Amino acid sequence: MQAELEMNQEQDIQFKQMKKKKSKKRLDSWLLLLPALSIFLFFFLLPLVFLFITSFKNFDAATGIGHDWTLQNYAKFITDQFYLGVLWRTVKIALITTLAAVVISYPVAYQITKVRGRMKNYLTLLVLSPLLISMVIRCYGWVILLSNNGVVNNALMKLGLIDKPLTLLYTEFSVVIGMVHVLFPYMVLSIMGSLERIDPSIIRASQNLGAGPIRTFFSVILPLTLPGIFAGSVMVFSLAVSSFVTPAILGGPQVKVMSFLTYEQVSTILNWPFGSAIGFLLIFIATITIIIYSKLLTKSEKGVAIQ
Amino acid sequence: MRKVLPKACLNFFCILVYIFLAAPIVVVLLSSLTTTEYIVFPPKGITLRWYAELINHPEFMQSFTLSIMVALGTSVISTIIGTMASIAVVRYEFRGKTAVTQLIGSPLLIPSVVFGVALLQFFSWIGLAASPVALVIGHFILTIPFVMRLVVASLVGFDRSIELAAKNLGAGRLRVFFQITLPVIKSGVIAGAIFAFITSFDDLTVALFIVSTDVVTLPVRIYTYMQYQYDPIITSVSSIMILLTVILMVVIERILGVGKVFSSKN
Repeated sequence: MQAELEMNQEQDIQFKQMKKKKSKKRLDSWLLLLPALSIFLFFFLLPLVFLFITSFKNFDAATGIGHDWTLQNYAKFITDQFYLGVLWRTVKIALITTLAAVVISYPVAYQITKVRGRMKNYLTLLVLSPLLISMVIRCYGWVILLSNNGVVNNALMKLGLIDKPLTLLYTEFSVVIGMVHVLFPYMVLSIMGSLERIDPSIIRASQNLGAGPIRTFFSVILPLTLPGIFAGSVMVFSLAVSSFVTPAILGGPQVKVMSFLTYEQVSTILNWPFGSAIGFLLIFIATITIIIYSKLLTKSEKGVAIQ
Repeated sequence: MRKVLPKACLNFFCILVYIFLAAPIVVVLLSSLTTTEYIVFPPKGITLRWYAELINHPEFMQSFTLSIMVALGTSVISTIIGTMASIAVVRYEFRGKTAVTQLIGSPLLIPSVVFGVALLQFFSWIGLAASPVALVIGHFILTIPFVMRLVVASLVGFDRSIELAAKNLGAGRLRVFFQITLPVIKSGVIAGAIFAFITSFDDLTVALFIVSTDVVTLPVRIYTYMQYQYDPIITSVSSIMILLTVILMVVIERILGVGKVFSSKN
């Protein structure tokens, strides 16, 4: 009886200590999180909530933001052909960029996973280098290349292929070129990841069964890397839809996209409510993409499991 | 034959892609050497005149210093804050963890233009004027998600028994962190700091909304200069930035190895 009681007490003490430890742990975790969390609540969430509210206010020529509530800003966008055209152009440019990025990234990712040793490091660095050099500068390089008396036009004229310079700069074409250049590394990384996960014995099995390299590629390697292509595409698409720097420098006011429209409304026309509404429509498109993607991904993962 | 032809095609295609990747950067570097008053490629003659010309444009130097300062501040502080938050997320279980990680991860989904506009409106309401501090705060939001991704990745594969061993041998919590945990997750933390630096130094979109006439970062300076002038000054400024990036990359390669930095990214 005495022993039992003692044991009970001991357990009690242990339990209390555990509880103390647990609450101390909880305090620790919140202390560690506090700086990041407060910055994000105060300088990220709060400003966005305020901007969302602004998008439901009327436009006041004197102060920018009026006092009345309205859905006018959103209605103005979805009923006006011009704005819908900008939306369509934004999505179109992002789609073409994504497609082009897949086509040019895949062979490069494939080649990099094939080589070994130092060469692999150098090629990886080369592919990722665009990420490290200022986006403004890279786009500026494209301005020099694509302008009317730029490198590309001069070369084409010297070769006698054209008589007068083609308009390449400030077109959808130049925006796509710049965007592919900027977003290419994301696609390569994503495809490389899925290529590296392929079990080499599967490829050997395919070869042993008599399939040539091309057949092996199309019926074994490509299907196995589809999740990587998917993941890269969604990343590139959502970055392309919302990118600002590239369309601003290589497209300018001639090739307006959603992000540029937001910027223009807010900083030139000073119509804050309408600018905010355009911005939130942009967030809406980007979010929808991600949701569709995660739905597709869970589906395709099930597909892979069945295989 | 069956094997050689596809391989040759692949290599040829890849070389074209590498040329595409290098083209704008090479063009900027080479056309900064031109003797002409306008930008031309290939450059006519070779001179360093446009680099010397920078002395007459102190505003570029000012912007450069500001950008370096902002990027350094952003990098150091967001790495510390991001590492702390990563430890909390990986090591502890607490209520609202998913909500917290989603909130901190969400800037990757929000277009930076929209964030820039939101921040401009918010800053003007609370009366925070354009300043290096305002820029650093804006850049925190862009960089902390990246830092956390990299640090969390290096924390996940961490063998905690060595921490326990250190603790049992009498090391205090801080000592365990600085002598055991930090050296192991070092590559993730350094990669995070570098990414934070580059992201902040490169940012145009958010800075465009925060800057004022006397607080202008380098990307904003270059962007606005480009709108009105088309002379080789921009190419010499850009070339200096490219060369600095290359030097930074070589240093990173020496310290960490490229493979390491980027493999922890996935």
